[in-house]
Amino acid sequence: MNLEMGEALEAFRAEVIAFLDANVTPDLVEAGAKTTSVFAPFEQAMRWQGILAARGWAAPNWPVEHGGAGWSAEQADVFAQECERRGLPPLLPHNLKMIGPLLIDLGTPEQKAKYLPGILSGEDFWCQGYSEPNSGSDLASLRCMAVSDGDDYLITGQKIWTTYAHHANRMFLLVRTSTEGKKQQGITFLLLDSMDLPGLTVKKTIGLDGFPEQCEVFFDAVRVPKANRVGAENDGWSVAKHLLKYERGGGSPGPALRRRLAALREAAARADDGMGGVIADDPAFQERLGMLEADVISVDYHFRHARGGGEPAHDPAYPSMMKTLSSETSQALSAMMIEVAGLEGLPRQLDALAVGANSGPLSDGFDMVAMPYYLNTRAASIYAGSNEIQRDLIARIVIPA
Amino acid sequence: MDLTFTDEQVMLRDSLGKYLERNYDFETRRAVVAASGGHDPKIWADLAEMGLMALTLPEDRGGLGGSVVDLVAVAEVMGAKLLAEPWLPALPGALALAHGGAGEGGAAALAAFAEGGAPIAFAHEEGRALAEPARVAMTATRKGGELILSGAKRYVVAAEIATHLVVSARVSGAPGARAGIVVALVARDAPGVTLDAYDTVDGRRGANIRFEAVRVPAADVLADEDAGCDLLNAALAPTVLALCADAVGAMGALVKITARYAADRKQFGVPIGSFQALRHRIADMAMAHQKARSTLIVTTAMAEAGACAPRDLRLLKAQVGRMGREVGESAVQVHGGVGMTDELSVGHYFKRLLAMDAIYGAGRLHFRAIGAAA
Repeated sequence: MNLEMGEALEAFRAEVIAFLDANVTPDLVEAGAKTTSVFAPFEQAMRWQGILAARGWAAPNWPVEHGGAGWSAEQADVFAQECERRGLPPLLPHNLKMIGPLLIDLGTPEQKAKYLPGILSGEDFWCQGYSEPNSGSDLASLRCMAVSDGDDYLITGQKIWTTYAHHANRMFLLVRTSTEGKKQQGITFLLLDSMDLPGLTVKKTIGLDGFPEQCEVFFDAVRVPKANRVGAENDGWSVAKHLLKYERGGGSPGPALRRRLAALREAAARADDGMGGVIADDPAFQERLGMLEADVISVDYHFRHARGGGEPAHDPAYPSMMKTLSSETSQALSAMMIEVAGLEGLPRQLDALAVGANSGPLSDGFDMVAMPYYLNTRAASIYAGSNEIQRDLIARIVIPA
Repeated sequence: MDLTFTDEQVMLRDSLGKYLERNYDFETRRAVVAASGGHDPKIWADLAEMGLMALTLPEDRGGLGGSVVDLVAVAEVMGAKLLAEPWLPALPGALALAHGGAGEGGAAALAAFAEGGAPIAFAHEEGRALAEPARVAMTATRKGGELILSGAKRYVVAAEIATHLVVSARVSGAPGARAGIVVALVARDAPGVTLDAYDTVDGRRGANIRFEAVRVPAADVLADEDAGCDLLNAALAPTVLALCADAVGAMGALVKITARYAADRKQFGVPIGSFQALRHRIADMAMAHQKARSTLIVTTAMAEAGACAPRDLRLLKAQVGRMGREVGESAVQVHGGVGMTDELSVGHYFKRLLAMDAIYGAGRLHFRAIGAAA
């Protein structure tokens, strides 16, 4: 075992700090503070991605020949720590942790040349068309049809829970190209070059938190060239499974969780406990906060253990475990946030939550963010395969057949 | 970043695992526990032959100069095989001797231990367990050049078979103060030392020990009041890592055994492992094990790099204890009635995990300390 430390790493840290000093603007920090979801405010997240891409740091984990930074795991940690320290918004995962890595692995040379630059720079934003009204956890039952028409497909059907489709200019999606055989066998993976195609309609869905994060997308004979297919026709399920690997286990949840934990701790130190003191001094609260921190650290270390080449890196249950553990830890954290916010979490402050808002929070930023974050985070155990599905997958691996 | 064991460590793990596989099945363990409180001189000698006693002792003290990673690597295997020999309980005493200012008697005791002689018992715990060395309360007074120990220690494992005890005590200050703690080497049969020995729930022999005006010559004071707390921390840090590794090994074994049982045991004409409620419980066990293991491995790598603070160890200890109880309780539940019996290894693993959680401060205390200050 070996952790890289010492002067070279500190020199890298100085480089990161100098870069952040020169490039971080107040609106980016504000967007970070007003992030009430795993998805940061769109405009600032994409602007930040562009700034990082120009420096070669937008997708550090990608292969270097495709724009990766070639960092060691320790360097990636330093970068994440410094971003966390300044409260910067997380980058959106769709481009950088989903469709980008997928095309690098499975795209044609033409697809890579055409799409990867925009994916990396953030000039394009890709949304993910997977779920359908009757195909959630049972995704393979999807029915959005693509019918062959010469060199094109004609897509008809509907997608749902399409995050940020109203911001996207491109989409990757699963469609049904055959109803023969097993349901997994007739699925095809397609790329849409535009969200303004004839026959395509996006309708926003207002969530529990009051924000239109999710969308429905309707297709009425939308024309897509066959060249936009990834993998073979009717082999989209294996393409999707390949991508799920990135979606479920892809990024470190550690930095974001640690930042929210620090904010929780600070808020508890000033929050009246209703008994003449502050919540932070309540031994019962302290014990639960200690457990929460331990869970945050364990999730972070589980990620690091895999990245450091330990056994989880080769464990087929790892992606499902990581997804389950990180989502449930963020939910536990969010529950303690609304507990500390108390009454001050009840006012709905959608206007003040907008980046660049004229009005400030009613009490403080923590209280304003707590409830929408809590509500939004209920989705973490539902999306990307519900946690019940994840536990099924883990059990299938752990229990001998 | 490399979080894997080296080839040498893997070989050591393999050879220890194979040795225990051949010589220490569950029935053998039961017999050793029943006959002699978990200690069999032949097995103890074999472990010493493998270099396990000398493993992390400094080379100038007859040790192999191994790292904490070596320690963790072997302790996980011992936990997985439910080894009752007092290897782990003897660790902090030996480390305190190795790193403290031991005189001739201490050096001889340590050299004997390294070669497979008697374990050095660690007489440190008090009350309901000490969450940190600074809480030591048992008193010591100075008289001439000697130290006089008076008071009591609890849960001293392997004291009966030890020739020497490493004892922590306070010459000044109140419990909680870092200064004022001394560490002394005391012959187990010294005048004024009385053992009240008992079997422990996890198959070992423990003792509560009374010290009545026990005289310690200056040469056997391992650390005086400026250095006692640091010496205890230096002895306890690797010990806590090894203890957690042992528990993680036990958890891993429980997950495997329980998953196997769920696949084999049939009710209503089907394996009980086909029922979703049980499948999800087993998935939770597997996740608890992985959480604990990754926390162990990364904390160990930090310790190896000299970047592990006492707070990091607290967190590890409390988290492993909590996950261990979760895994142990679920293992018994999935096994049903048979899991309640002494006949199966399941309950023995469970009790080992419970013991691990209770010593060196219960999880409750550590979690609270973590919550109280960042």
